[in-house]
Amino acid sequence: MKKYLLGFLLLLPFFTVLSGQAPNDPLVSKCLLSTGPNAKYLKDIRIQLGQATSESEYRYKANMSLWKNTRYRFTMCTADNSSGQLILNILDDSNKKVLSSHDAKTDTIYPYVDLICNKSGVYQIYFDFTEHQSGSGVTIVSMIQ
Amino acid sequence: MKARAIILILLFVFIISSCRNASKKPEELVLAGTGTLTEPGKSGTEVIEEIYRNYSSSLEIANLFQVAGVPFSSTYLASSLKAGEQTSPFEKALYLGILGADLGYLNMYEKTGTSMNLVASIKELAEGLNVGQFFDFENIKRLSLNRSDLDSLLFLSLDSYKRIDEYLRENNRSHLSSLVIIGAWIEAQYLATQVVKQYPEELLKDRIGEQKNFLRDLISIVSPYCGQDEKFIELCNYLRNISAKYDNVKISYTQGDPISVEKDGGLVITQNDSSIVDMTDEQLAAIIDITGDVRNKLIANK
Repeated sequence: MKKYLLGFLLLLPFFTVLSGQAPNDPLVSKCLLSTGPNAKYLKDIRIQLGQATSESEYRYKANMSLWKNTRYRFTMCTADNSSGQLILNILDDSNKKVLSSHDAKTDTIYPYVDLICNKSGVYQIYFDFTEHQSGSGVTIVSMIQ
Repeated sequence: MKARAIILILLFVFIISSCRNASKKPEELVLAGTGTLTEPGKSGTEVIEEIYRNYSSSLEIANLFQVAGVPFSSTYLASSLKAGEQTSPFEKALYLGILGADLGYLNMYEKTGTSMNLVASIKELAEGLNVGQFFDFENIKRLSLNRSDLDSLLFLSLDSYKRIDEYLRENNRSHLSSLVIIGAWIEAQYLATQVVKQYPEELLKDRIGEQKNFLRDLISIVSPYCGQDEKFIELCNYLRNISAKYDNVKISYTQGDPISVEKDGGLVITQNDSSIVDMTDEQLAAIIDITGDVRNKLIANK
């Protein structure tokens, strides 16, 4: 019995460290590590989508204020069990396309996109998974200095 | 027998600790039906709320200070505010917002080791509003003292506020949630206006001028509560007084095509649309004065 007690006491700090780690969503934790050394966390947006049958527009929309004189980084992370890869499109308040993380011409998907913002305002941030497949993912919005 | 009892106690402590942490996150994931938007159709008001219910104002302001090379100063903080002396939910919620903005400012400058008193005050105010369970005090304290993982600290601090906000709104206490937002905005605006007095950088002046539209929408969010009681009437009047100083500030826009460059595997977009603030020195001075006046009235312990 003493042996078990000793074993448990030795393991206890390990459990405590694990349960004390932040944040608790492993995908968010992983994604935070990939934002880069000069990035400072601002917001996370979690997306989970099923398979779409039709060729619809980007299916998940969030709204966000972005400010002039700020360089924002949008880091996209896709969960391992996803069929598609997370992509984003940003439009301004007049529906003008500002950026996309997916270059359809070359079929390149960028893992992060920096926006050097020169117009303060409300922006529409659209997400989907490539070819409207199912998947889950997170986007970390950070500020870069 | 004794050993078994100790193991049971330790297991109980471990399970409680695990359960506390397990209560987070998954509910934020929304699984979409086939071909549907994950986010239900939102009304105009809900969209505005989504945008303005954020507690990152002070982080973005502090980021701008750092871009402009402004050093940290503790003199701007609401250090005279005594969390334990606040009795009404109105003050507790408002001060929760004010101190949240100060915490963001400290965190951005990585003055995390000195923020312990502030974190303790935030915890006290949150507990006073019965939302202490959403403020992850232990982990914020640990990360603050370690100074090792700023991003996780920023995440946890903002996430705690987001959870408090969600809980208050879901439990018919939206008026308190609005007070937290107002407190956070006023303090961030106060920080910006104090700093610009010493460091009159154009980018800081622009950010203050751009608050015109933000403040207009903030007032529209709180307007349902403006007649609720005397304290709300007074607070809404304060906001309107600040807004009035923006009446002649003009914001115009120019258009241009963005420039994209691939860099280190990512994409860098320079936006060539721009917003231009037209604000005189006199208008700025009036905004600085009214903001300082309102903020100092709010933090004066009545």
